[in-house]
Amino acid sequence: MASIELRHVSKHWGPTIAVDRMNLTLEDGEFVAILGPSGCGKSTTLFLLAGIYAPTEGDICFEGARINDVEPRDRNVGIVFQSYALYPNMTVLKNLLFPLRFKNTSNEDAHARAMEIAELVQIEDLLEREPSQLSGGQQQRVALARALIKKPNLLLLDEPLSNLDATLRLTMRSEIKRIQRELAVTTILVTHDQVEATTMADRIICMKDGQIEQVDTAENLYRRPDRIFVASFVGSPPINLVQGRIDKTMLVAGQRRLPVSGNTVSTNVTIGLRPELISTGEQGLPASIVNIEPMGREILYAAQSEIGLLRFLEATPQPRLALEEHVHLKADPGDVLFFDTGSGQRIEGVRLDAFS
Amino acid sequence: MMHKQRQRQAVNALIFLGPACIFLLVLLVAPIIVDLVVAFTDMAQTVRVSEFSNEQFRKIIRPNEDTWLGFELRGSFYRALAKTAIFVVFTLTIFNVTFGLLLALTTTALPDWLGGTFRAIWLLPRMSPSVVYALLWIWVIDPTERGLLNQVLINVFGFGPINLFIDHPMAIIVVANGFIGASIGMLILTSAIRSIPQHLFFAARADGAGPLSIVRHIILPTLRWPLSYITVFQSLALMVSFEYIFLIMGPARSTMTMAMLAYTKTLAPQIGSGQYAYGAAITLILIIIGVIVALLLYRLTNMKRLLAKPRIEVH
Ligand SMILES: Nc1ncnc2c1ncn2[C@@H]1O[C@H](COP(=O)(O)OP(=O)(O)O)[C@@H](O)[C@H]1O
Ligand SMILES: [Mg+2]
Repeated sequence: MASIELRHVSKHWGPTIAVDRMNLTLEDGEFVAILGPSGCGKSTTLFLLAGIYAPTEGDICFEGARINDVEPRDRNVGIVFQSYALYPNMTVLKNLLFPLRFKNTSNEDAHARAMEIAELVQIEDLLEREPSQLSGGQQQRVALARALIKKPNLLLLDEPLSNLDATLRLTMRSEIKRIQRELAVTTILVTHDQVEATTMADRIICMKDGQIEQVDTAENLYRRPDRIFVASFVGSPPINLVQGRIDKTMLVAGQRRLPVSGNTVSTNVTIGLRPELISTGEQGLPASIVNIEPMGREILYAAQSEIGLLRFLEATPQPRLALEEHVHLKADPGDVLFFDTGSGQRIEGVRLDAFS
Repeated sequence: MMHKQRQRQAVNALIFLGPACIFLLVLLVAPIIVDLVVAFTDMAQTVRVSEFSNEQFRKIIRPNEDTWLGFELRGSFYRALAKTAIFVVFTLTIFNVTFGLLLALTTTALPDWLGGTFRAIWLLPRMSPSVVYALLWIWVIDPTERGLLNQVLINVFGFGPINLFIDHPMAIIVVANGFIGASIGMLILTSAIRSIPQHLFFAARADGAGPLSIVRHIILPTLRWPLSYITVFQSLALMVSFEYIFLIMGPARSTMTMAMLAYTKTLAPQIGSGQYAYGAAITLILIIIGVIVALLLYRLTNMKRLLAKPRIEVH
């Protein structure tokens, strides 16, 4: 049975619609990520689940029971805030014990539990410190421990890694994953960083402007994005998007006409092609290099072709191509994605026959 | 080059600190020195000094070998001291701190527009001219049937009229000053509560804390410093405050605090004024008590925790 369910849930702030008619089902023990740009309603979704905000419309159900009016304290939800929100006037130990105060836990049990959880997140040596004496990574672990100590049914993580430096982020990423697997607690991770989402979560909810764009695995978001937004938000460097028009059996893009087949309908389309799927060769789409961005391991070139500007990656450490050099761009025509420009929806069953 | 730079620094220091220093000298240090000198003279109505003596202090303190300290306070001064203590302690604890705290807690818990309205109402006495505020009080506690309080007592509760001026004079000045003091406490504490990050409240609620636990564990610890500040600052302010006491009670003996005593003996347009040296002596004692109280309260409220310990970076 589904453990957590959002049915048509919205949250309005005056004229602002933070969450817009969201439908979502989470399985027990699942690790999902909510991925989306800043301000798209990710935190609001978490706070709705935690009971901190009440939904404007719709139902939130835990184990099939509607819990819209259930107080946060009765939901048994652990939450880690972006700012960690540790109680500044309490030591680490007191911070950990705080949630147990309201649970009728005996003193010995509470302390035993605190030690256990401190060991799990490796903060045993910090218990007597105050939050102001902790580094960012340590605060993060304490916040995680405080969220976990009451054995929550649902763990909510609001951009938990965004305040950490790059190496620490890497460590904490695998730490959080390990802890989640160990406890098998249903977890929602909120992030605007696609790498965090793809590396940690089983499923990713891609959000934009309060609405769910797509719920899928990382691979599907990358290979088969349902919408233009998903295609452009997932993947780095970002996908090439070119405006065009399908005219019977031809794709008209820029000054070029390319043959298409399948169930074609004449309409305005946006085609998407990932930079890492383009290469250069003897034949293909003629283009000239207009920009070179060395990225260390790879080089990101931008080339102006007749269909428009296309970026592509070359895995050589040194620039092989020069500015204004003429090249031929190659790609598997099957890799080209078609989107309906009007609705933003991907058009299935349309294929490019040749990329040249 | 070096020389020039140092010169410019000196000029900058003068420009920035100069006005404050002059202010301090003219408005604070100079009056204290004048007060100190005058306290040891016999200056009276004629504003002439004929001799230097400790005569004024002998009006306040009388040597008495039988007491522990070797002296005792004369009646009028002793009463003034006691009344000041009662006035300050009750006004401060009941109104400035407790009432101010309650107002801050309730108005921040209300929706913004409602809380703001309440706070604005509480600020009215602070904003209206003191004479108007005092007149309002005089009308409220008027001992005849015209007084608002008596009208309520007679018409609503069926009691007889009461005369607070005679029965509870200290209560009058405590409440009248308290209403004003509470609004200051409310403002400072409100802004302190507002400065608590929203996420702390969210975290506490998710952790299971109810409203009372949130007040106790999240809000009150944060209010430690504002509360100490209010205590120190307001107790000093109340000690020397006589404006509303004088406007409501006049030079009544029943509410003759030290500040009132100093004022009536010197500048009050009433009988008994013009004893400048005597007033100066009382003021001098008031200043000394003020300094002692300030230092004591500073100690008691313990500023150590304000200076946070250094952060230790360990990854
Ligand atoms: N308490 C609030 N009052 C008014 N507007 C809010 C509030 N919280 C969030 N919003 C608005 O709702 C939208 C979504 O916010 P949020 O959920 O915090 O986004 P995210 O976490 O994805 O960055 C934003 O436009 C934000 O300005
Ligand atoms: Mg957010």
